[in-house]
Amino acid sequence: MSRPNESIASLNLFRAIATDVHFWIPLIVLVGGLILLDTLR
Amino acid sequence: MNSSSAIVQTVPSSEPSPMHATRLRSLQALGIFCGFAAGAWLGGAEAPIKLVNPDISPVTISLIMVFGVFLARWSVPALIRGTSHVRHDVRQAPHLIVWAVLAGCMWAVANTLTIYAIRNVGLSIAFPLWNTNSLLGIFWGFLLFNELRHAGWRRWLGVLGGAVFMFAGATLLAVALSHRGAAGEARLGIIAALGAGVLWGTMYIPYRKAYLTGMNPLSFITFFTVGELATMIAVALAYRGATPLWHELISARAVLFWLMIGGFVWVIGDLFQQYATKYVGISRGIPLSNTNQLWGLLWGILVFHELRGGSQTIYAQVAGGSLLMALGAVAIALSSANAREHSYWQDAAAREGQRYRVEGEYVRAGMEGKHFGANPGNRTLLDWLLILGTTALFVVLAVMARLPRVDIALGWAFALLIAMVALLASCGVALWRTTRFR
Repeated sequence: MSRPNESIASLNLFRAIATDVHFWIPLIVLVGGLILLDTLR
Repeated sequence: MNSSSAIVQTVPSSEPSPMHATRLRSLQALGIFCGFAAGAWLGGAEAPIKLVNPDISPVTISLIMVFGVFLARWSVPALIRGTSHVRHDVRQAPHLIVWAVLAGCMWAVANTLTIYAIRNVGLSIAFPLWNTNSLLGIFWGFLLFNELRHAGWRRWLGVLGGAVFMFAGATLLAVALSHRGAAGEARLGIIAALGAGVLWGTMYIPYRKAYLTGMNPLSFITFFTVGELATMIAVALAYRGATPLWHELISARAVLFWLMIGGFVWVIGDLFQQYATKYVGISRGIPLSNTNQLWGLLWGILVFHELRGGSQTIYAQVAGGSLLMALGAVAIALSSANAREHSYWQDAAAREGQRYRVEGEYVRAGMEGKHFGANPGNRTLLDWLLILGTTALFVVLAVMARLPRVDIALGWAFALLIAMVALLASCGVALWRTTRFR
């Protein structure tokens, strides 16, 4: 019984993170920082 | 992509009750104190880098510092509260591990950029440039976390006026820079410092998210450091290659101590910064901890004679620029949140709690700096192993270390160290008395 519930909870958590702008802004800036570091190398 | 997704709409909202005025004032004062203590320790952390042979690659320097940071981010929480408290926090809000790791990755990249910046333009110039991250922090705090909402025109004036002052100060310092070094190197240094500022300014989004949700800073940093260590290892391997990196680490053994202690000192400053962010928000907490620019200036000029031989104009520009930035930070610090603004913070916290289904009492207790739930217990054998292992490693590295032949003023270095320790002790006691390090 608990396994389907856990799967749903995990899916909900994943969806909440993937649709959260608080996640995407830092991620995009991080990628930009890595590109800058590569340019400066 | 929106912060208030469908998940929020399906869960009935609970109206957060306002925090008691006395408690709010007490936490605001504590956050401001933490911000100033953070400034001292973050500023002091860059000094050991100046002791290191410039032949070592910036990426390798950053990697070694991050090893020190990693050790500190696990041993300090183990010493203060024990790792059982970390497990307790993670059970309440497991999603925050994602943001902690993400923030750690950003820190590592920004830290590497600052080493390029210090190399090319010097400590006293690089600091204020990357400290423009506070402008970005104010923006993100307002946009994403309800900071400065209904704060009144005086607080807006304090924060925005302070931000303008800080920008003007940074510009003045950049002008002073144009008199030093080759133009090409200076341009790269400026780009690196500003890039670090953008990364650090955005890194406060995960910080604020975690602390609005109720997580303890001592728990957040343990996962944060996994991201920074993994990123630094990946960057170092990609840039240097495994074998050259290993040879460079071996040849750098005499300076490992200085770099790792730099990382350790940084963690102390960052911890205070995290508490400042938690209790006064990112729009105030970042400018306050950015007083590290003044400490960096003191270390650079008094201890390392950085501007020796410079003209009076350069001294005037650097001093004037720093003063402007400091005045801006003070103006922002004096614009602390009132009860009305704080109620909007509580709304943002409730939104986070509902989105990720975090228990309301946990969120509220976190915001008020109070304990939630059963006590997870005292320190375990793992905690003592972390504390003793880290101590032993630093002792071994200290024995191997040599003080490089650099012209430094030891008297000034000791004076600054005493001031830092005094701030550490007084702010640590204030944190313990007010929140028990919650």
